[in-house]
Amino acid sequence: MTLPKKNFWRNLIIFLSVMGPGIITANVDNDAGGITTYSVAGAHFGYSLIWSFIPIIIALVIIQEMCSRMAVVTGKGLADLIREEFGVKVTFYAMIVLIFSNLFNTISEFAGIAASAELFGINKFILVPLCAIFIWWLIVKGTYKSVEKIFLLACLFYLSYVLSGFLSKPNWKEVAQSSIRPALHFDKAYLFMLIGVIGTTIAPWMQFYQQSSVVEKGIKIEDYKFARWDVIIGAFVVNAIAIFIVVVCASTLFKHGIRIETAKDAAEALRPLAGDYCFYLFAFGLFNASIFSACILPLSTAYSVCEGMGWEVGVNRRFRQAPQFYTLYTLIIAIGAAVILLPNVKLVPIMLISQATNGILLPFVLIFMLLLINNKRLMGNFTNSKIYNILTIIVIVAMITLSIFLFFATLGVHA
Amino acid sequence: MNEKQNIINPVKNETPSKLSPKDSSSLPRFIYFSELLDKPVIDKNGDFSATIYDIIIKPAEVYPQSCAMIIRKGFPNRKYAFIPWASIETLDKKEACLKIESAELKFEEKHDNREELSLRRDILDQQVVDTHDHKVIRINDIHLLFVDRLLMVAHVDMSLRGLLRRLGFEKLIDFLIRLINKNNPYLKTEHLISWKYIHPLSINPASMTIKVDVPQKQFSTIPAADLGEIFLEINIKHQIALFKSLDILTRARIFTHIDFKTQKLMVEEIPDKEITELLNNIPSDEATDFLEKLPKSRVNQLLSLMENKYAKKLSELIGYSGDSAGGLMTTEYMAYLENMTVGSTLKQTKERVFKVEPAQFIYVVDEKWHLVGATNFRRLILANPEDQLKSVIFPKTYFVNLESGVKEVAYLMEKYKYYAIPVVDDNNVLQGIITIDDILSQLIAIAWRRLKKIKVLPKQ
Repeated sequence: MTLPKKNFWRNLIIFLSVMGPGIITANVDNDAGGITTYSVAGAHFGYSLIWSFIPIIIALVIIQEMCSRMAVVTGKGLADLIREEFGVKVTFYAMIVLIFSNLFNTISEFAGIAASAELFGINKFILVPLCAIFIWWLIVKGTYKSVEKIFLLACLFYLSYVLSGFLSKPNWKEVAQSSIRPALHFDKAYLFMLIGVIGTTIAPWMQFYQQSSVVEKGIKIEDYKFARWDVIIGAFVVNAIAIFIVVVCASTLFKHGIRIETAKDAAEALRPLAGDYCFYLFAFGLFNASIFSACILPLSTAYSVCEGMGWEVGVNRRFRQAPQFYTLYTLIIAIGAAVILLPNVKLVPIMLISQATNGILLPFVLIFMLLLINNKRLMGNFTNSKIYNILTIIVIVAMITLSIFLFFATLGVHA
Repeated sequence: MNEKQNIINPVKNETPSKLSPKDSSSLPRFIYFSELLDKPVIDKNGDFSATIYDIIIKPAEVYPQSCAMIIRKGFPNRKYAFIPWASIETLDKKEACLKIESAELKFEEKHDNREELSLRRDILDQQVVDTHDHKVIRINDIHLLFVDRLLMVAHVDMSLRGLLRRLGFEKLIDFLIRLINKNNPYLKTEHLISWKYIHPLSINPASMTIKVDVPQKQFSTIPAADLGEIFLEINIKHQIALFKSLDILTRARIFTHIDFKTQKLMVEEIPDKEITELLNNIPSDEATDFLEKLPKSRVNQLLSLMENKYAKKLSELIGYSGDSAGGLMTTEYMAYLENMTVGSTLKQTKERVFKVEPAQFIYVVDEKWHLVGATNFRRLILANPEDQLKSVIFPKTYFVNLESGVKEVAYLMEKYKYYAIPVVDDNNVLQGIITIDDILSQLIAIAWRRLKKIKVLPKQ
């Protein structure tokens, strides 16, 4: 009896040391844009979209697991591999699109920070620059280990949505039923919302970021199974939190028939219905998610671009040692924060560009991944099995179609 | 093509005269590998058959030379064919002409299972070690030289300009810069690095070691600390392959400059016999530092495989706590018996096979290895060769005990300006010495911890 117990503790310790990249990457998925989408989904369609989180979990695990596996087996980042296997031209143009996509995503994260500043009654001209400086300082002065710890702490703050979920006193029986039973309606608004919820799940930066951070951790092949658990747990946790966001809005706003446009509207509408605590938790969740994602997106961009172009990379290096890395990182934060402080800035075009660039890049990234992971020379015995390949292709086709639809849907709604 | 000839002068690392062509009528002809890639291949009858895909190189004296070409055709079902260099008639920026017919070519689906180095797969766009600037770089282009119809790998290009050339923007950017400033240094300098400084990191699929054109190239010229840093920069898979391909001395140099986690990984990859050989070749204090962190059973297993005397010494050292004099000391030192003459001491010192021991002091001991005193070479050289050793020792020699702490050792060394201090046991028997570098690294560690405390405390 003692032996398995000892193994359990040993395994737990190894898991804790391997844990991080998967959970962090998945959580950034619930960024300012994600929270907006889920709030609107809950407020307009009640519990009826919750079932869609189950296919999302599967898709997320399939795609992100491949990144982890490639990182552990090859010891190289995704941009590294694309450069080495597909040449410099492809890498260069992919990186240009990635920079744009991540830049516009970062702007929308700063918009989230500005929105939460208004919710808490703080002047956004104070909070946004402060946050920008904090984000910049964190990476420039930090090491990989310290940064990862802070990121994992930020993941913990997502629990504020779980708490606000309980405070909104939902009908749990109904929630459970609707998560198992797909309720497909064929009206236009419902389908648009469905595309929105699924389409925001997988973005190109996630694959680059996760693979680089697994590489940085230096996980051994023997410990790979733990890295896989990191991905699976990440996918479950992030979607559980998304479900809580939907539940909060569904059990309050949807019940009273309140229409909202943004996460900020959702928080404000919650206040009279679910009380001050629920409001503060929801607003804090938005702030945490925005600032967390605003950290990761510029970091991920700088990482991928420098990897692919062969420039010095690293949180552990100084400015002089990695000038391109820090310049890119600093520029994205500076532009992201500055744009949101401009008077009369319109968020819709920013969202459209970010979705469009995501949609352009995603097919390429996913197809590159499929080619790389099936390359015997790189992956040895760790290539995809046939069934895994079929599943991956289904996910890839679905994600590509959805991200294209998402772009046109947003265009249609706002045009 | 002739303008390229100018490049050779501003090149950072000189190209040896060896590369200049034998007949002086034609100037040295350089070409970039990117200018050959994907260019059409024409067969004997003038028919288009495929495009240039890769060039296989083989080791030569300094600069490797081309020995075959791989061409490819078809999309999306690509097929590759192997062409010996002798079957190539001409090769330039426009096309490659073959001496054979395309019907003779055997196209296959596989192409990347070769053990030789090839330019596209193993060098272009890959990471390599630059042993000149001591860092890991990514190759943007390869600079080739025509010598008697063969191509030689002369330089690699890692510059922004090389990157732009690959993207097809070189001429545009050149034009724009010329518009602004005709004398901009960007237009004149070529950041080429001579191939002799480049160590590829590509892995041979059969032996899982690094493919090399010249074994152990240049690594011996890099200071061990830099070598360790470079090693930590490359990824795990390449670390393992590189470590396996190195000779024992380079391995030892790297091993003493990497962290325990990486050390352990490397040791897991090589057979036990090579581990013991490695431990035999690193200073005893480094060896104990490493062994101390391994599980006991593994340590005993390794020690049992080692040379008996050294293993005994190591197992004694492991017994001492890490920050006591016993744990810090190394057992490599020079000690001679007190009644030897100065002349024979100097003679014996010359004949000694030096490993890594520090040579600032010579220790003088009696028959039972009790510490009598210390002396230095200056005293030995100035003394009469017939004098006995004990007559040239310092008037007083300070020493520490096995249990002495870091601070006591540091205090004594600073006070008496010692580069090394002897360590004795309770019976005054000489056990080893502690050198200034070992004590310094301990002090730096302590200082760092203090510094952090000072920085952190006021914030709370």
